[in-house]
Amino acid sequence: MRLRPDAQDIFAGVMFIAFAGVMLYLNFESHPIGTARRMGSGYMPMLTFGILAALGVAILISGLFTGPEPIGRFAWRDMGLILLALTVYGLTVERLGFVISLALCIGIASLAEKVWKPLRVLGLIAFMLALCWVLFIWYLDIRIPVFPWSR
Amino acid sequence: MLENLLYGFTVAATFQNLSACFIGALLGTAIGVLPGIGPVATISLLLPLTFGMPPTTAIIMLAGIYYGAQYGGSTTSILMNLPGEVSSVITTLDGYQMAKNGQAGPALAVAAIGSFIAGCTATILVAALGPLLTAVALSFGPADYFSLMLLGLIVSAVLSEGNVVKSIGMMVAGVGLGLVGTDVQTGQQRFTFDIPELSDGIGFAPMAMGMFGIAEIIRNLEMPEVREALKTRISRLWLTRDEWKRVAAPIARGTTLGSIVGILPGGGAALSSMGAYTLERRISRNKHLFGKGAIEGVAAPESANNAAAQTSFIPLLTLGIPANAVMALMVGALIIQGIQPGPRMIEAQPDLFWGLIASMWLGNLMLVIINLPMIGMWVRLLKVPYDLMYPAILIFCAIGVYSLNNNSFDVYVTVVFGFLGYLFSKIGCPPAPMLIGFVLGPMMEEHLRRAMLLSRGNPMVFIERPISASLLALAVIAVVAMALPSIRKGKDEALAGG
Repeated sequence: MRLRPDAQDIFAGVMFIAFAGVMLYLNFESHPIGTARRMGSGYMPMLTFGILAALGVAILISGLFTGPEPIGRFAWRDMGLILLALTVYGLTVERLGFVISLALCIGIASLAEKVWKPLRVLGLIAFMLALCWVLFIWYLDIRIPVFPWSR
Repeated sequence: MLENLLYGFTVAATFQNLSACFIGALLGTAIGVLPGIGPVATISLLLPLTFGMPPTTAIIMLAGIYYGAQYGGSTTSILMNLPGEVSSVITTLDGYQMAKNGQAGPALAVAAIGSFIAGCTATILVAALGPLLTAVALSFGPADYFSLMLLGLIVSAVLSEGNVVKSIGMMVAGVGLGLVGTDVQTGQQRFTFDIPELSDGIGFAPMAMGMFGIAEIIRNLEMPEVREALKTRISRLWLTRDEWKRVAAPIARGTTLGSIVGILPGGGAALSSMGAYTLERRISRNKHLFGKGAIEGVAAPESANNAAAQTSFIPLLTLGIPANAVMALMVGALIIQGIQPGPRMIEAQPDLFWGLIASMWLGNLMLVIINLPMIGMWVRLLKVPYDLMYPAILIFCAIGVYSLNNNSFDVYVTVVFGFLGYLFSKIGCPPAPMLIGFVLGPMMEEHLRRAMLLSRGNPMVFIERPISASLLALAVIAVVAMALPSIRKGKDEALAGG
């Protein structure tokens, strides 16, 4: 068979092997395996990650011949902004309260738009604040600090 | 059964449950109409909102979202050649052609009527098969259960799209992620890295929301937006006598096929609609019209996907085994509510089982009304641009995840799985098997341990017990069958839209 690497499969194979390898290492370090009759806390992880490693190897090897299938471009900017917006929400919601966090989250996420329109974003923030207030604070009464001073 | 069904109606007809059913069906239709947001993402998004409800109400609403999406998905397929859901991709083939020929009305009508008939039939099937299967499942020992779950996992991986080995890998990785947390038997912390939040395991809702909700947003953002305005006018929203004659048999066949596929692990709406279309195209008397606007080509798949959406509840309600990602979410919802899904559920939670069935029937009735006369409203919904929609979805995610435990940790878990979900889509790894593996993993470990303890460590117990042995044999057959090139080609064709 001619070598025709498939980037997607090779990446997936390596990912599974690496994940399984790390987990197997941690498992042998800290969890007793036990016997088949009386399984320790490390028995099922050993089985699971052992099988995963084997599958990873199979995917990797078959990936050397089934290509070429390139990995599509990563939308780093969009991804970064969305994940950042969510992280910022998590970091700030307890300290700054829900109103500021929500505005920050929407503001950052909106930067992923092709054309950034500040007025539109402000309008959206205002609308979402009102909607979330009614839905989450007033109706569902979830326990969440609303303003920086309300803790 | 009749008595039980009547009891179910008394449960479903309370004001609280009726409104839950209506909200679910309405939301389901909305997300079905909107491309780029599916039932899995929506249900995981709304999961936190249901914690405060009684279990029955919560499940009724979440179920409504799932089958509602099957109705709504057809609308945009027919009117704009834009499938709102994966299960409606196939409807674009003939549905859009019908709309172009000025027959948008009958196309929409047959989609709704077919769905309604299929939904009602499938509901009766759930009511009839549920107690029956439960009786069988109660005779299962731990070894049989383990084999059953293994079969479920393997079949669902085999039937999912793309590379089978990668699907199985994702599933096993999901089982592995399910091991994180406190080991139930020994009380030992596994893979928690001394993070207190991880001692209860990785949160189910943050994981699902990240992989399906957040990753979906990123994927939609990178794709250019294509939305055409509606060009056709909607004519009469009903069928002529002649059309009724043409669609009766396709609806019946679609319902039958959909009901069967729905019960299979990994089955569910998408696979069934494609199967039904392929079947219809092969045996219909109007073969030559397919692809040019055959009403049969709308009736069969739309009936099938709705039937499958309902019958996929059977394995969940009777065996506690989720057949697809949506059902995995239902397991999560039940467990959070303190209900262990399994064969004892019908007896222990009669409200939930019979109430849900009755609500499905009521929900289907509501959906016909929501969809047919109100079609104009749904078309208008499509005009909401995505740049206003995705920040809203994101913020719902953020608030929902945070409110699970009032802890930012869950938000960070969502971020991690958002990244992973996006990465998986780039390397052709389907996320659904991972979610199913994650849900089934802990149960499998428990049954494996119990089985091995009973057999004194002898693994032959899995082959010696007849039920277990036949289930394992089925799993082997499924794997071997998919390795055969001719069958694999058939599956890929069916999934690629015939």
